[in-house]
Amino acid sequence: MAKIKRKGQAGQARNYITRTQAVKKLQLSLPDFRKLCIWKGIYPREPRNRKKVSKSATASTTFYYTKDIQYLLHEPLLQKFRDQKALEKKISRALGRGDVSDAARLERNAARPDKTGKPRYTLNHVIRERYPTFIDALRDLDDCLSMLFLFANLPSTTAVPAKMIARCERLCLEFEHYLIVSHSLRKSFLSIKGIYYQANIQGEDILWLVPYKFNQRIVGDVDFRIMGTFVEFYMTLLGFVNYRLYTSVGLKYPPKFDQLKDDQGAELGAFALEGVNIAANDETKTITNGEEHGPDPKVQAEVDKLVQKLRDEADEKDAGEGPAEEESEEQPSDGIDKFEPVAPGGDVLPQPSHSSSDPSQLFSKFTIFLSRETPRQPLEFILRAFGCKRIGWDSVLGEGAFTTDESDPSITHQIVDRPVVQAAASGEGDGEDNQTAQKLGPNARYPGRVYVQPQWVWDSVNDEELKGPEVYAPGAQLPPHLSPFVKPTQGQYDPTVPLEEQQTEGEAIDAQLEDANEAHGGDESDVENDMDVASDNDEEEDDGDFGGFSGEDNEEEGEKEEGSEDGNDEETATLQRQRELEAEIAGKSVHGAGQSKVDAKTKAKLEAKRALERRKKQEAEDLERAKGMLSKKKRKLFEQMQYTNSKKSAEDMKLRQKRRRLEKEKERAKA
Amino acid sequence: MQTDRSSKLSTPNATMGPKLTDKKRKSREPEPESDDELGNGLFDGVLSQSEDEEDYIPSDDEKEGEDEDEDDSGTEGTEGSEDEGEDEDDILSEDIPSDLDAEEEMDKLVKQGEELEITEPGVDPKPREDDSMEKNFRIEKDANGGERYVYDEIDAAYDSDDTDAQGPVNTIGDIPLSFYDSYPHIGYDINGKKIMRPATGDALQSLLDSIEVPKGWTGLTDVNTGNPLNITQEELEIVRRVQMGLLPDDLQDPYPDTVEYFTSIEEKMPLSSAPEPKRRFVPSKNEAKQIMKLVRAIREGRILPYKPPEEREREEQEEDEVHFDLWQNEEPQAPNPMHIPAPKLPPPGYDLSYNPPEEYLPANKEREAWENADPEDREKEYLPQKYIALRKVPAWGTLVKERFERCMDLYLAPRVRKNRLNIDPNSLLPKLPSPAELKPFPTVVQTIFRGHEGRVRSVAIDPTGVALATGGDDGTVRVWELLTGRQVWSIKLSSDEPVNTVRWRPAKDAFILAAAAGEDIFLMVPTHASVTPVLDQASRDVLAAGFGYATNGQGQTLPAGKEPPAKWARPGTKLEDEGVLIRITVRSTVKVINWHRKGDHFATVSPAGQRSSVAIHTLSKHLTQIPFRKLSGLAQTAAFHPLRPLFFVATQRTIRCYDLQKLELVKIVQPGAKWISSFDMHPGGDNLIVGSYDKRLLWHDLDLSNRPYKTMRFHSEAIRQVRYHKGGLPLFADASDDGSLQIFHGKVPNDQLENPTIVPVKMLKGHKVVNKLGVLDIDWHPREPWCVSGGADGTARLWM
Repeated sequence: MAKIKRKGQAGQARNYITRTQAVKKLQLSLPDFRKLCIWKGIYPREPRNRKKVSKSATASTTFYYTKDIQYLLHEPLLQKFRDQKALEKKISRALGRGDVSDAARLERNAARPDKTGKPRYTLNHVIRERYPTFIDALRDLDDCLSMLFLFANLPSTTAVPAKMIARCERLCLEFEHYLIVSHSLRKSFLSIKGIYYQANIQGEDILWLVPYKFNQRIVGDVDFRIMGTFVEFYMTLLGFVNYRLYTSVGLKYPPKFDQLKDDQGAELGAFALEGVNIAANDETKTITNGEEHGPDPKVQAEVDKLVQKLRDEADEKDAGEGPAEEESEEQPSDGIDKFEPVAPGGDVLPQPSHSSSDPSQLFSKFTIFLSRETPRQPLEFILRAFGCKRIGWDSVLGEGAFTTDESDPSITHQIVDRPVVQAAASGEGDGEDNQTAQKLGPNARYPGRVYVQPQWVWDSVNDEELKGPEVYAPGAQLPPHLSPFVKPTQGQYDPTVPLEEQQTEGEAIDAQLEDANEAHGGDESDVENDMDVASDNDEEEDDGDFGGFSGEDNEEEGEKEEGSEDGNDEETATLQRQRELEAEIAGKSVHGAGQSKVDAKTKAKLEAKRALERRKKQEAEDLERAKGMLSKKKRKLFEQMQYTNSKKSAEDMKLRQKRRRLEKEKERAKA
Repeated sequence: MQTDRSSKLSTPNATMGPKLTDKKRKSREPEPESDDELGNGLFDGVLSQSEDEEDYIPSDDEKEGEDEDEDDSGTEGTEGSEDEGEDEDDILSEDIPSDLDAEEEMDKLVKQGEELEITEPGVDPKPREDDSMEKNFRIEKDANGGERYVYDEIDAAYDSDDTDAQGPVNTIGDIPLSFYDSYPHIGYDINGKKIMRPATGDALQSLLDSIEVPKGWTGLTDVNTGNPLNITQEELEIVRRVQMGLLPDDLQDPYPDTVEYFTSIEEKMPLSSAPEPKRRFVPSKNEAKQIMKLVRAIREGRILPYKPPEEREREEQEEDEVHFDLWQNEEPQAPNPMHIPAPKLPPPGYDLSYNPPEEYLPANKEREAWENADPEDREKEYLPQKYIALRKVPAWGTLVKERFERCMDLYLAPRVRKNRLNIDPNSLLPKLPSPAELKPFPTVVQTIFRGHEGRVRSVAIDPTGVALATGGDDGTVRVWELLTGRQVWSIKLSSDEPVNTVRWRPAKDAFILAAAAGEDIFLMVPTHASVTPVLDQASRDVLAAGFGYATNGQGQTLPAGKEPPAKWARPGTKLEDEGVLIRITVRSTVKVINWHRKGDHFATVSPAGQRSSVAIHTLSKHLTQIPFRKLSGLAQTAAFHPLRPLFFVATQRTIRCYDLQKLELVKIVQPGAKWISSFDMHPGGDNLIVGSYDKRLLWHDLDLSNRPYKTMRFHSEAIRQVRYHKGGLPLFADASDDGSLQIFHGKVPNDQLENPTIVPVKMLKGHKVVNKLGVLDIDWHPREPWCVSGGADGTARLWM
């Protein structure tokens, strides 16, 4: 006889372990267990059959894989946790005895790990374990960056020490520097939550969210200990990632950090990148372009000089690049070669975009000045990442500007985000004089300079081409800012595509009918109403007959034969309407002959609509028939899929309707 | 018990002053002996004992109590102490001689090596102290002949707080004293000596008692001694103090003055005038050694010199930030198949933009709905919003919370791999041939037959396809011309019972209709234009043939006294004139009639008629047989197999198939329906459709399985009737209470291996639903793709 198997000795029951059991097995406290799980990336699992796994009746038990927990048993961090616990016990005992000096000694001694064995741990090995390759680490960088950027903007509290915030900020800025140097920022999006950035590093798309520079409100119960554990891990991770990234572009890590400048709010400018080789020196120069700001003409002159020099440099560079490109046929280049079909007949392969202008140098030729109401940090970062080397801003916005003088003649673009003040003076004919007269006037404009709103930068970056600045002029109503992350899919609503191209046939006919009705105006309001009623009836019929196989016509015939005994109001209404329409076509109606042409058109549309409806009904019938033949399971699956699809399409339809209405309103406003 | 009480009483004594009582007790030790004596000298003892009734307290003690009482008024404490002193003196003076005696005794005992216990009680420390003053040891010779000092045994009982070591205790244990009533003694003390009963009251005693109640008299008897139990003055005092809520012992001062063991006055002057020693002025060599040790440790770097905390912190930080290439020698590992990476957050859509296209902005109604909804119920956790300029965009309030939730998800959310079917749902649907390819099938109402009052319960088209017979609630059977809808013949079979079913005899040689109304089955030959006289006569002959058979008496196989299952009779001249020729009366209401294909037999089912619910009638013999003695379940319907000698009976849940030749059960078909309403055999004989009251239509392939091959649920109400087309067209139909007929294309392939194809083709609507009843019966035309339905609305319809 086979051995009797006992319940809970094999199979799923052994593969899973509850959290309490796990904590007991590891001999840890729950917070320590939590830390360990977060760092080691161990997460609960949902067993296929909870009942088989759990020995208790509670529904909310958390299960882990037993293998995962076993793997934790060999974690070196575990010993550190235990040591820490022992030390804490010692200290608390000393304090309990009122032996403050002893406690202090223990605490102090803890700083000398070689002597006293303070549990100091690093997460290096954990990171190496979780991300065996660098690419793995990049793949998981989304949450890391979002978290660190958020923490860099948090106010310091007891739960979030200032040191942690400073470190987060440094790491983030270092990362931004890498993006600037490597031009790997791809897209950015101004959302209501913050600014989304997308970078492409070594082929991995990384998307993260940076909050707007405001004091973050902390609502709800947020446990900063958990967040802190994550941040600790992420800080270590980003430190190593930064090192790797910096060394990959030939920069020294960590970059030189100027505490003084940072205190003055230089942010990105507080770092001085040093190249390991000479190639990077150029970057170093360009990035640390912070100029001393002052109102005195002497400095201004120097600035001018420098600007001139830089311009010359740029010109030289441009001049130098021109011929170089021409003769670059022989030289190997980093760029992608375009494959042109030599002979016709071959298949065309999709190729990476081959644009003549490098998007990473989008703003390289500009000197951009940021007005003091604009968000400096994101603008500086994004402009630099897309090649702008000379960014000036008001001294209020912090240290590190190329120029703080708004009147600097080298400025080509100014980013403004203030409303146009409707001053009486601006309405006068000779506004030019006025502007020059009052230099800091509300609508003051320096000639020869392009004034744009911040959205111009983002839209240009996302479209990889410079947008026309006139649309983004100060005070102008901005075009909608669209997310660059949405990939258009077939059949989904796309706001960039005109309505006519994406609406369904039925919608188009409806729209045309409506248009026609509107064109007729109030004269035909009764007809319109009638039609509306009729169409409503049709729809109702639609719904009613949805499950049926029978054609409507047949039934109607049957009804006719039967006489009016059945007296279906809807039917009769439909018939009456039909008769009316027939009468209309014949021209016998009350309406004048002049309108008959329009009527004919309307009639045709109506016909089309009816045909469409009939087809729809037919399709619905077919569907119903086919659905009946499915098994119950498959039918449920099918219905589920249909539900989600129809929900999506309903949403899209709503959007299309709204847009149609809005467009109509606009037209009306124009007319 | 005894010890308990005594101890209770004696505790105050002990607290008062252990010395006192103990001594007293000791002093009274020899009492029993005296008691013995008292036995002779009656009165003496009586008196003495009556005075200090209670126990061992001797007269002097009593006196002392009295004394105390007397001078109690003044300063108690001091007097008490004085008393004590006096007492001691007294006792001493008394005891000394006895003690000396005891000592002498002891000496003897020691010499003899006897037990000491006996003499122990008599030993008193005081005298021994006195002895020690003089000589508390004896000098003896030891083994070597030297002097040896032998000290007295120390009496542990003396002056100890040990309450166990008490005076003479009655050792009889926990038994009533009445056991000793007939003896002169009342028990034994620890030494096994009798404790004599004290003299009890006699005339003198009572006289004395009547004169005055002794002090502390309680009227109780001490169990230990048998003496009256009296309370001393001291004990009374204690009781009083306890009652007053004071300390029980007034000797104990609750607030004594502090005794200054160490004086608080500091002495200014040194006690000695010796000069300071030199060592006070010379550096310590030991300390120098210690310091040198530290210096050496510092020099060797074993002890790190002090650093200001800021510096240390900075160093720490530098140590923290170790920079190296973690992935220097990276080696890609195959991902663990069990590892599920955390899903990334979805990228922001258009509606998250700070300046979204207008159509994404919610209308007022949507906004309201969103705001009123619970945060958990919201589909999106944000409302799209438009800001005209970037400077107007505020901070996102719940960003920290959202991040936190993401963290919680990463750490605490169970991850499950879900396979999302990313396919077109239409690809799941089977490819059905279009209905146009499956033509012909009925699509429209051709004729409506009106005339019945109430429901049309049953419809049947005759084998030639010319006439339609209907039976209804009004008790009539009507025959119509199928195509024109003209009623050609009608008869009222019953005034109160509805006609439940009408069925034509299948063979074409005669024109016979069977109808059931109530418990009667009528066989009739309707007369109408298309029936030639020849055919009419042939039909009548077929019906009449059985009469001869019946009169021949061949059908009488019944045992006497048993009622025949059915009575075959002529219905009476009135009906006979109309064409109704035979009436068969069975035991309960017949609901279903089904003919055998040859037309000689037909089966009837009357669900209410328990044993006789299924009956098979033979037309040629006018014979009715009941094939089942017992049926499991209510019989619903029964039918003959179209080709083979098989008989099918449907009960509520199953259909049983019987072989009529071998007379055995062949098969049990289990459609799985809750309540079968009807079934029909495919003319090929291998397939079966079943309709059920639980809205299901089931197709059984009898060769395949007992379970349904296909289950179809297209009706919203119960299915009443199902029918195959019998004339070679691959059609079948069902009638339902939802007022619709459904026509299916059901092709049974000739090849055994192929499965039948079933395609729904048409839903015919026209019948009105009356009282939740829709279409009650259907029948197919024998050749054409036409069908007839009878409904609860009183009409029958021809569909073609």
